[in-house]
Amino acid sequence: MSSPSQAIVSESDKTARVPLVLLLVSAFGWLIVSTVLSLIGTIQLHTPTFLASCVAFTHGRVDAMQESAFIYGWAGNAAFAVSLWLLSVLGGTPLRGLGLLTTGAAFWNLGVTAGVVSIAAGEATSIPFLQMPGYIQPLLFVAAGAITTPAVLAWTGRSSDSTYASQWYAVAAIFLFPWLFSAAQVMLLAAPVHGITHAIVANWFGQNVITLWLLPVAVAAAYYLVPKLTGRAAAHYEFAKLGFWSLIVFGAWTGGRHLIGGPAPVWVSTVAVVALYLLLFHYLVVAINLPAGLFAWNGSATLRFVAFGLTAYLVNGLADVITSTHAVSQLLHFTYFSVAQSKLLLGGAFSFLIFAAVYEMGPRISGAKWPAPGLIGTHFVVAASGTLVTVLGLAFAGWSQGHAQAETANNFAAVAAAAKPGLLIATAGEAILLGAAIIAFFHLVRLQLESFSTASSSRETPAPSAP
Amino acid sequence: MKNGPIFFLSLLAALTFSWVGLALASHRQLDSLVPYYDPAEAKAFPEPMPGIAARGQLVYQDLGCASCHTQQVRRADMGNDIDRKWGTRQSWARDYIYQNRVQLGLVRVGPDLANVGARLKSATEVYQLLYKGTATMPAFAFLFSDSPLGAQTGAIAVGQSEGHQVVPTRRAMELAAYLLSLNSPHAYGPEAAHNAVKPAEAPKSAEEPKK
Repeated sequence: MSSPSQAIVSESDKTARVPLVLLLVSAFGWLIVSTVLSLIGTIQLHTPTFLASCVAFTHGRVDAMQESAFIYGWAGNAAFAVSLWLLSVLGGTPLRGLGLLTTGAAFWNLGVTAGVVSIAAGEATSIPFLQMPGYIQPLLFVAAGAITTPAVLAWTGRSSDSTYASQWYAVAAIFLFPWLFSAAQVMLLAAPVHGITHAIVANWFGQNVITLWLLPVAVAAAYYLVPKLTGRAAAHYEFAKLGFWSLIVFGAWTGGRHLIGGPAPVWVSTVAVVALYLLLFHYLVVAINLPAGLFAWNGSATLRFVAFGLTAYLVNGLADVITSTHAVSQLLHFTYFSVAQSKLLLGGAFSFLIFAAVYEMGPRISGAKWPAPGLIGTHFVVAASGTLVTVLGLAFAGWSQGHAQAETANNFAAVAAAAKPGLLIATAGEAILLGAAIIAFFHLVRLQLESFSTASSSRETPAPSAP
Repeated sequence: MKNGPIFFLSLLAALTFSWVGLALASHRQLDSLVPYYDPAEAKAFPEPMPGIAARGQLVYQDLGCASCHTQQVRRADMGNDIDRKWGTRQSWARDYIYQNRVQLGLVRVGPDLANVGARLKSATEVYQLLYKGTATMPAFAFLFSDSPLGAQTGAIAVGQSEGHQVVPTRRAMELAAYLLSLNSPHAYGPEAAHNAVKPAEAPKSAEEPKK
């Protein structure tokens, strides 16, 4: 059983240090940016006059900037770094094409920066999950190609034919994202379809960015970390393959659930709801395979991140099914409850599993121990409380908003007043999450500084590295 | 999963299957929608958006109005949208055929705007809303500018102070034109027939022959 404070470095871990650290430091930097924007956006929901005189910070633009900074800045960078590292370690081969990877990572972050600034300047596309303007997208696509090439090389050049569940999920994420991204760019921006078809394609893309790109990386991390940190193999591993394919096949159809009751053909949302039910099999398999991680609340701080992430993942899967039912959808559709679900999935499930992976890989790619191991536990407590307060606050706001909207006599001032207490709680949660993001960023930077000083001293006195 | 090429092809097939099923199938179904010609009114509906309104939609997009407002009236069994007078019927796909980038929205911080043009009386009312804001919506003061009192701006003043009047900018006028154009009350024949409440099944009479 390994501890995150240990620095166990093998050749395959440390060769890609520069590009992986570049991706991780950028990711954690973007996490701070997106959390600041999320805090501003949440304040504006209960105090609409906040920063209202500044056109760059109108709520719509803040929302679009926050989404882009979170998805392409934090989640994208982190997903690339974790999946590349997993494929290298599990394939038993150092990453190749590092120059390409470093260049791709630099241009990816340049593209995201330009995209977020463009949104502030009024260039947003207003397409969810594809808010950055069309002229930025080709740069991101090429950069993603450069970043994913070493992953494909790591998969094809692996030392053994046998593969693990972590590799399936990581490869699926890396391989499917460029296809998904290019299809969306053509159908939504370059040669756009029009009318309601545009909304259907946008929902297909937005849902699959989460289901086929980001979540598979988080699940890959869980399948790698749980056996490694607990010393217990995944239970009933023979089901893992079915769990994987059920996510890929059924998950791809769930985008239409946001179109329930609207102008899209009814079959679109019906298919999505059926797919959500079928997806329960995937969550069941994950729960059966990884109970050691799911109930690891007394383990190391890294394991607690895994436990929180897996719990959030499974709870969100159930919540998706419940909120797609007719009675619940009628009440909660178009409310803050859907925002709470999104926070639970991306801020809870995805982010916590990625945090755990980073706490494992950080020392291994840097060749140094975490400078303050106690800070990992602090980060967990702050991040977990921030996520819970935000999600519960938004869920409460959504619940109150839904009930207030259901009374036709209530005007929107009354609806807003009903939602305000929940939004105030969520604002406190966002402020706590900002603290968590700052802690994680500075710990990662300190690790890098520590590793530089270790490297300088080891040049004077060479030390043996662990296998 | 030892066979790499088959694994990759299976992944691609899964994604392509959903793309064909959702994106292409809906495109095939909805691309054939054309304006509905109503012989009674001798006009086709919906009507194309005027040029200034189309430019207003770009203002709506760049300000991100869709993050607070939806543009879709749900059917009667899915909520009280119709009771709230947001439309006389649910929104249908045909309502959006002239829109290149529909603004359906995901959260209702403010009211639905699918038919807001029917609720707003004039551009002046829109300017007042945008300039002053409401309890739940901020003022968009940057969409207005000061001009000397009495200057011929060609725009309706929304307020005045010492020697100055506040007038809408071109972007405000375009946005107002867009909002006023949002109105789809017409019940297209095919959709109205398809969504009509079916008459209750007639009770079987005693004389009905037994099968």
